[in-house]
Amino acid sequence: MNAPWYKYGLFNDEISLVVAVLIGIGFGFFLERAGFGSGRKLAAQFYFTDMTVLKVMFTAIVTAMVGLYYLSVIGYVDLSLVYINPTYLLPQIVGGLILGVGFVVGGYCPGTSCVSAATGRYDGWVYLLGFVAGILFFGELFPLVEKFYVTTDMGKVTLPQLLNLPYGLMVFLVCAMAIGAFAAAEWGEKKMAAKNQGEIK
Amino acid sequence: MKVTQWINKLSLNQKLAALLFVLGVVALFAGNPYGGAKATIDAQELALIVEKQADHVSAEDLADWIIQNRADYRLIDLRTEPEFAAYHIPTSECIQLPNLLTSDLQRNEKIILYSEGGIHSAQAWFLLKAQGFKSVYMLFGGLAEWQEKILFPQIPENATPEQLNAFQKIAEVSKFFGGAPQTGSEPAALQPKPSLPTPALPSGAVNPKIQTKKKKEGC
Repeated sequence: MNAPWYKYGLFNDEISLVVAVLIGIGFGFFLERAGFGSGRKLAAQFYFTDMTVLKVMFTAIVTAMVGLYYLSVIGYVDLSLVYINPTYLLPQIVGGLILGVGFVVGGYCPGTSCVSAATGRYDGWVYLLGFVAGILFFGELFPLVEKFYVTTDMGKVTLPQLLNLPYGLMVFLVCAMAIGAFAAAEWGEKKMAAKNQGEIK
Repeated sequence: MKVTQWINKLSLNQKLAALLFVLGVVALFAGNPYGGAKATIDAQELALIVEKQADHVSAEDLADWIIQNRADYRLIDLRTEPEFAAYHIPTSECIQLPNLLTSDLQRNEKIILYSEGGIHSAQAWFLLKAQGFKSVYMLFGGLAEWQEKILFPQIPENATPEQLNAFQKIAEVSKFFGGAPQTGSEPAALQPKPSLPTPALPSGAVNPKIQTKKKKEGC
């Protein structure tokens, strides 16, 4: 049986919902174990005192990339069947900025606010209500922003296609980038810890 | 020995980072991941399916499914767009052969193909089967048979009561699809060829959901 399993018909629509619940619980569990149920820990990312978010997210990205790359090289995964989000450059930059501002101000992103709410934190629940209200608000306003929403359509583009580089080279570059980011994050954490200690004294 | 000592000194995180680096370097030479999963055809299995005619759906069955409003299949019209516009079986979608593999059809969907006769649908059947599509079927006899059996059914000459009964049933089905059952006693060849009904179904006959069901992916 080849992967993606759903597209090869290993399970149907109904079972895929069950699978989604299981994956979601796993995702939430590991976010919580990484400490992402705490808004303080997440916000510390933006003051460079705790780079756990960057390390966890980058680890997830390279693990998925290396895994998918090797599984498809050996012919187990049909990469052409893996869904790729289409790129709308400008609207996605604006959306990213809105999400980023919310992240710094509130201390959560949508996924981590669910984790926080599930662990019983009030700020998590407030955040959860806030983003549901935001979805409603956006949905009602959608006719107004619809034109902008679909501008700068680049299609389902990947980095190797965009930069015209071989896939293997791109994998190597992202791995190198991740290792560099991990090293820089640890170095920065030590620097900031030393600096903060100096201030306390 | 020195290497193992050096490795032992590393923390778990550093070991994992080193592993990532090695995997990254190997990836430089491992090539393009796309097109890795080549489909293989079990020719014997396909031959058996063809032999048993398990790859067919009869016009009568299809008509029943449409009347019952079933939505667990996708009906694909392989003919050209002008032909599709002139007449198509209700609930069908127009996808031509070259676009078949890049369309949004999924491997776990039940797909029924039809063309004018049966050649194009048979070719498309093999293409999809070779790509690992699970349940692909052809409309037996294609659109020609659909017209003959469903739209313009003919009463057999000197029909027995049983045949008459069966004809009455099929005439109902035919009217549902806007067809014209042929009850005249003269041979079919002498009758003027009846014109095709418009593709639209009687209003309210078919749930419009069938045509608009499309899956949204991503998060």
